Amino acid sequence: MKAINHFEYPPDLQEVFKKAKRLEWISIGYLISTAFLVFMTMGNSQAMKTAWFEDLLSLTPAVSFLIASRVFHKAPNKDFPYGYHRVVSIAYLCSAVALFAVGAFLIFDSSMTLIKQEHPTIGIKVIFGHEIWLGYLMMAVMVYGTVPAIILGRMKLPLAKKLHEKNLFTDAAMNKADWMTAAAAILGIAGIGMGWWWADSAAAIIISLDIIKDGYTNLKQAVFDLMDERPKKVEDQEDDPLLQKVNALIEKQPWVKEHAFRMREEGHVYLGEGFVVPTDAEDLVPRIEKLAQEVEDLHWRIQEFVIMPVRTIPEQQ
Amino acid sequence: MRGKWCVVFPLLLLWLVGAGCSNYPKDPEKTLEKVSNGTLHVGYSENPPWVVKGAAAPTGIEADLIKAFAQSIGAQIQWHNDTEQNLLEALEEKQLQVVIAGLTDDSPWSKNVSFTRPFVELGKKKHVMAVVMGENAFITKLESFLHQQASSLEKQVQP
Repeated sequence: MKAINHFEYPPDLQEVFKKAKRLEWISIGYLISTAFLVFMTMGNSQAMKTAWFEDLLSLTPAVSFLIASRVFHKAPNKDFPYGYHRVVSIAYLCSAVALFAVGAFLIFDSSMTLIKQEHPTIGIKVIFGHEIWLGYLMMAVMVYGTVPAIILGRMKLPLAKKLHEKNLFTDAAMNKADWMTAAAAILGIAGIGMGWWWADSAAAIIISLDIIKDGYTNLKQAVFDLMDERPKKVEDQEDDPLLQKVNALIEKQPWVKEHAFRMREEGHVYLGEGFVVPTDAEDLVPRIEKLAQEVEDLHWRIQEFVIMPVRTIPEQQ
Repeated sequence: MRGKWCVVFPLLLLWLVGAGCSNYPKDPEKTLEKVSNGTLHVGYSENPPWVVKGAAAPTGIEADLIKAFAQSIGAQIQWHNDTEQNLLEALEEKQLQVVIAGLTDDSPWSKNVSFTRPFVELGKKKHVMAVVMGENAFITKLESFLHQQASSLEKQVQP
């Protein structure tokens, strides 16, 4: 057994990681300012309330990313012999649960408003002595909350792929999707202005459906990750092509007659075991050591690959 | 999908704003339209100095405000006197349009009826009127009227 590397990102990615952390700090500051403005103007619009919850909620991935980033690179020790990598998966699970739960709550809340036929009241607000319909302010706040979020989201997406960081990816995807929430809220409020009292709740339901969809996809993936599913790519839930490379590398060893291997994700990194049936027992230990090193050198994400010589490979299901 | 919405959405918004310029926001049940040059149903419950019972019509700060407001939109006032609870229930069922009873914005009733924005503050209590929910043109009109009276009201309630 060897010590798992102290820092999981190679030097060139450490810069990317720092940039990601900086972007998340900016996001947090910005989201708090939006949430404050939405709270100040939300009156009794259901869509604004929904958008406010979404703003608060979208803090979760950023906050859990930053917390996890202080923990995951700690060296393994006596109590945590596999290191702290999995804290990343736990952070991802937290974001997904938050997303899903709030989506579910909001859809219930908005539906009740529709069923009880509550008519939202939006009056005037006086700013520096000027009277203005609060609805216009709400629309302005929604626009303020959207444009920079889309830009931040676009900046974070490529970083998330490079870093194999699912939490960051979720966050970026949510930021990018924010414009839909804002558009729905603006239309809902414009609808109230037209005298369509239901427009607001209808918009809120559409926003909630979108939140639930994101929540469900991510919740499923987070649970699967913790259940040691085969490594999947960050951007879609497809098998990581890296697995093919590992397979090809083991296959081409002349001393390996048969083989099988399994891998799992621990946060950003992969751990795995390979089982090989050697042709003969000659130089077995140096051969195994060399192959294990070669597999680990394939990609920075393969953190540890243990090779075990066996007599036969059991039938695979 | 996304590209299409980028075009549709601004157009939709433009149409909404364009359509609404003259009278925006509107009432779902046309309260302002019905009340203007018609009858304004006002519920009142005695609470001096805001509402004081009189022979034909109530007097007091809030009663005077409502009289002036009704005049500004050409409405005749039909006064209804009852307890605060009965009045607010009638308001919820849209039998009344406004209730005055020296209400403040921390009243627990705010869930079933709407309050105007506070029109005057006295001893840390923010005074409001109760209005029918969601009739935004009517409410905006009343709030705007109350706001214009704000400075004279401040002087009136100064001890």
